[in-house]
Amino acid sequence: MAETQPLRGPFRVPSAADRPPKQVVRLNVNGHAREVAVRPSDVLLDTLRDDLGLTGTTRGCDMGTCGCCTVHVDGRPVLSCLTLTLLAEGAEIRTIEDVAPAGTDLHPVQRAFAQHGGSQCGFCTPGFIMTSVALLARRPDPSDEEIRREISGNMCRCTGYNKIVESVRVAAAELRGEEVASVASPGDLDVPRGAYDKPAGAYRSNGHGGGKSR
Amino acid sequence: MTSRDSRSPHGVGQRVPLIDGPSKVTGTAVYTDDIRLPGTLVGKILRSPHAHAKIVSIDTSAAESMPGVRAVVTGSRDLRTFGVLPISKDEVALAVDKVIYVGDCVAGVAADDEETALAACEAIRVEYEPLPIVGKADDALKECPPEQKLHPDTRHPSNLQKQVDQNFGDVDAAFAGADHVAKGNFRFIGVTHAFTEPHCVIAHFEPTGRLTVWSATQVPHYLHRDLAAVMDLPMHRIRVIRPMVGGAFGGKSDPFPHEMITALLSRRTGRPVKIRFDREEVFLTNHGRHPTKTSIGVACDGDGKLLGLDLDALIDGGAWGSFGVVTTYYNGVLSVGPYRFDNFRYRGRRVYTNKPPCGAMRGHGAVNSRFAFEVLIDELAEKCGVDAAEFRLRNLLPSNTTTLNGFRITSNGTEECIRRVVEASDWKNKRGKLPYGRGIGIACGFYISGSALRINWNKVPQSTAHLKIDMDGGVTVHCMAAEIGQGSDTMLAQCVAEVLGLPIEWIRVFSRDSDLDPIDLGSYSSRVTFMAGNAARRAAEVIRGKLCAAAARLTGYDAEGFDTRDGHVVWLPNPAIRVPYLDALLEAIAGKGALIAKGCYHDAPPMGGSHKGAAAGLSPTYSFQSYVTETEVDPETGFVKPVKVWAAHDCGKALNPLAVEMQIEGCLHMGLGQALMESFGYNRATVGNPSFLDYKIPGPLEMPDVEVHIVESDDPEGPFGAKEAGEGPLLPILPSLANAVRDAVGITMYELPMTPDRVLKEIEKKERASAVREASEAANPKETVR
Amino acid sequence: MILAPFTLHRPESLAEALSLAAKLPDGGYDWIGGGTDLLQNYKNRLNAKDHVIALDRVPEMRGISAERIGAGERLAVISESAVVRERWPGLAEAITHVASPLIRNSGTLGGNLLVETRCYYFNQTPFWRGTKGSCMKAESDECLVVPQKEICYAAYSGDLAPILGVLSATLELASPAGTREVRIDEFYAGDGIRKNVKRADEIIVGVKVPAEASTLRAGYRKLRHRDALDYPEMGCAAALRLDPSGRIELLRAATTAVDVVPHFLDFSELMRGQEPDTAFAEVAAAMEERAQPKKNTSMPVGYRKKMVRVYLGRLLDDLRAGRTEGRIPAA
Repeated sequence: MAETQPLRGPFRVPSAADRPPKQVVRLNVNGHAREVAVRPSDVLLDTLRDDLGLTGTTRGCDMGTCGCCTVHVDGRPVLSCLTLTLLAEGAEIRTIEDVAPAGTDLHPVQRAFAQHGGSQCGFCTPGFIMTSVALLARRPDPSDEEIRREISGNMCRCTGYNKIVESVRVAAAELRGEEVASVASPGDLDVPRGAYDKPAGAYRSNGHGGGKSR
Repeated sequence: MTSRDSRSPHGVGQRVPLIDGPSKVTGTAVYTDDIRLPGTLVGKILRSPHAHAKIVSIDTSAAESMPGVRAVVTGSRDLRTFGVLPISKDEVALAVDKVIYVGDCVAGVAADDEETALAACEAIRVEYEPLPIVGKADDALKECPPEQKLHPDTRHPSNLQKQVDQNFGDVDAAFAGADHVAKGNFRFIGVTHAFTEPHCVIAHFEPTGRLTVWSATQVPHYLHRDLAAVMDLPMHRIRVIRPMVGGAFGGKSDPFPHEMITALLSRRTGRPVKIRFDREEVFLTNHGRHPTKTSIGVACDGDGKLLGLDLDALIDGGAWGSFGVVTTYYNGVLSVGPYRFDNFRYRGRRVYTNKPPCGAMRGHGAVNSRFAFEVLIDELAEKCGVDAAEFRLRNLLPSNTTTLNGFRITSNGTEECIRRVVEASDWKNKRGKLPYGRGIGIACGFYISGSALRINWNKVPQSTAHLKIDMDGGVTVHCMAAEIGQGSDTMLAQCVAEVLGLPIEWIRVFSRDSDLDPIDLGSYSSRVTFMAGNAARRAAEVIRGKLCAAAARLTGYDAEGFDTRDGHVVWLPNPAIRVPYLDALLEAIAGKGALIAKGCYHDAPPMGGSHKGAAAGLSPTYSFQSYVTETEVDPETGFVKPVKVWAAHDCGKALNPLAVEMQIEGCLHMGLGQALMESFGYNRATVGNPSFLDYKIPGPLEMPDVEVHIVESDDPEGPFGAKEAGEGPLLPILPSLANAVRDAVGITMYELPMTPDRVLKEIEKKERASAVREASEAANPKETVR
Repeated sequence: MILAPFTLHRPESLAEALSLAAKLPDGGYDWIGGGTDLLQNYKNRLNAKDHVIALDRVPEMRGISAERIGAGERLAVISESAVVRERWPGLAEAITHVASPLIRNSGTLGGNLLVETRCYYFNQTPFWRGTKGSCMKAESDECLVVPQKEICYAAYSGDLAPILGVLSATLELASPAGTREVRIDEFYAGDGIRKNVKRADEIIVGVKVPAEASTLRAGYRKLRHRDALDYPEMGCAAALRLDPSGRIELLRAATTAVDVVPHFLDFSELMRGQEPDTAFAEVAAAMEERAQPKKNTSMPVGYRKKMVRVYLGRLLDDLRAGRTEGRIPAA
């Protein structure tokens, strides 16, 4: 008894000819107008990653459950994998790439995630940060319970969440202008630059010298 | 100069944020799917819809003639088989003659875009002839004709892959003479890693004749070896690059068919090919924790001294070997600690079934047996009338001893772990004293810190690190230890920072390119901190020697008196005598060029017994844990809601307490998932719930408060005394929660996960039993004591 | 994942939306609100249509007032709305049970009421369905839950129909033929495929809530593995008003996810004047008896049925005591 695969059902992928043509849409992404050609069935996640090169927004499940693809649409965090690109026309789209202020500074939420164990493998991190930034814009002093509820559409398999909650709490405090203790931060030891042009033997003649030579 | 012991502000014992944190929080970290090479083709895999079937024919002509399709590959006997263990290289890149699980790879397609690749997969006509499905582990044990074996060439006349029989002491006599015996039959369904980044690979067979493969893997070296075998290329013509990896937990620790398929497609087209999995494909690929039936007996004397352990595990391996031979041993031998007993019998059997393969998952091989053991210990303690924590304390292995099966135990902080969590949790005032529906439980754990012996029998060190410092002063560390989010890059940087007395931002770690970075065997078996940490430390010590010699030349003081600390080379007898690091560096470089050094971790000292399988589970050192968990159980709904966990883990020395906490909390969350809701289910051998919606992972609202207690037993051979923290901390959470449930409502859970319906069923069973008891007591009032 | 292809329309008014639909073949289009449910099904190639009409720019579907909520309003916005929190706190809290905050930021009220019925054999990928031969709600003609060809047993799994039902809310439906109103508790009918009385060319424009609703104590409780993301394995709602002597004056109950349609029962006449304790036990038992879950979700059938009584009993006790679940943070 032989049978051919697929077993049953019209699971046909339409050929290129059957697909509606691409149309050019103007999107407002991270404060800039971007023109991009998309199909009606394209979702924002694909447009951001594949057409605009904004790969900070990651694809975890593609089905709205993991939250890795969270971006802001008109200030609200939404799942870009379940948002049609054409329906985001006219909205302000903001991705992880636009969270940090100019230069190499980090947003307080980003800093807190990096410093307080809120990020391990980092794949879900942009999504969590987008959700958290939006939360703190709306609720500057959320309780832990509220933070947990708000991030419950984002999945993390590394941290166990508690350090994410702590990161959001620390970021909230910093955004409210409170003093925030820093975990050993880079650059708190100044390694003497030394004297590249110091003549050889300087150590013997500048007061350190006189040691027993061997 | 400062009160800390470490030479660097980011050295040993300091809370150091992961060094790749900034790139992760800004979205600039580059994962495999973020890489866009010019001309990349999209690869897709046609998978088997049958669990077991002969392939009568495959017709790819329609697919190959589709516009935009660049190559189609199918299985061939000419392609070598592969697999992570040399003793079970039973995997094929693409099915040959038959398929053995739903999701088995039948053909690979490379096309200009995803739609075309998918359409081409559908255009491939495959004629199958279904074979009887081996679905249950028990059925797999039955003798069968060769054509019903998944792997006809294996030596057993059934689908048994591996059987382990070990026997130490006299278990039957010990049980016969015991005052108390507890027995149980436990059932564990499979669970899976569910990392957030789906598997992704890019292969580029370049015009030079070299193959470059970027893959989300935690074992680039094993991938490298098996690519060489399957592609029939010498290893030097293959370059393996591991980009950022979005979680792995053992799920990316095998060389995979899709990696081979991508390479084959690239060789056929001469173009880069990328295969990125849908989430469903990740589930189909699995390699998660094995479904297991564990039968166990534990015996003790009247004082609560453990006498023996009798253990039997039937392990459902799915379609392939993977790490399964190791799993089969680990289900037994990782139960020999942290308790001492003199009689131990283990029978482990792993079978092949027509299901997605199982493999290594965080806590590999130890989790299920540990659960069964620790749950029965509570039962024994109750039978002897000894407090569960006290019972454990009475039976601990000491430090610096040998287990009955020959494991060398060196540092061992179990006792301190237990004492810390018992005190912090107020155990004595809670155990047995909380109101009905609330309970507290304890359990311990024991895990390897790397495997003492290599998977492949050769003389390549288990880990090698290269260091280079040029006149800019930055320190380049090269080592292929795979950073998968656990923080191994940060650990390497810290080890070097500590030795050289430099801030961590002067250290840069390169751990991803087989052309540039020396071999480390990979991120599995909790080996990286111990082995790669030692390698990096040793390399840095060579450099330190050169800096001290340079400082001696500059100052005229003896080199032996110098040490590196806080950016200086300091003469210890009089710390005022000091040379800035950069000055010492310039002197060291003068006339010789950049400082270069290497260090390696080659082997643990000789150890272990001589019985069959004595090497399995041998580790240069072991980690120990003890957790206390307090939980609520709703007796009307059966919902178990852990409230707080006190988690003590002996990691030897916390190189980075922040990172250790991160590992412990992550382990705990993953273990809670298996304990409470995760279930890799099947529907007639098809994965039943291949999505994040249906495979239930606890969310932030299910996570209890966690109080971490780091115990430092200062391992004599670990880098700066350190040992693992990435897997052992998973073990105690499951049984400590089950024991808390028992304390709360008086039921023993023999099956995981403890879903509310199962818990409620047990509660009702218990209530019915006590109702019957009361009724019979009422009928016979003389015996009733009220 | 590649979605099934379609042509997208984005009308700017209700009239435009309806006339667009009138030009398209019957059954040849879907309406899309937030898309969080529809697009998942399109990714799984489940019953995708050639045309999709977006309703996000239809002004008639917006607005939140003391009498009406536009069906196009996002769930998060409704839950945060001061009017809703003040007048129907039970609805505001029930919304927090829907999926996740991210989904509630996109998902609309209308979309939630029309959420596709769910089944283990249906909500799977094309590949998975192919291994099973698929089911009558997708490509085949046979049910895989209860093997037969007449009834689709996919479960209605919306979280909001029960609470809106016990508040006696009414749906405003518009079609090219005109508008009509249908009580929510009479809206759902049929089976997992037929689902409700809405015709394909009709749109839920808004949900009207009667003035009386704000005088009721009402709430929703949900059985599920996880507090977020999961669809209900069972959900129940109730509305309650006691007379000055503490006896039942009004009592309505509803359940979801235990049948192909939600169940609504108004016990007011039957229970009026009764002591709450007896009434609550009877109501919970009656709703449990009506529940007929099938083996097509994650939890066992018997357990889901049994939990109707426990959850509904607790909900009624909470309503009497004025307790909420505390899921909405204080302002």
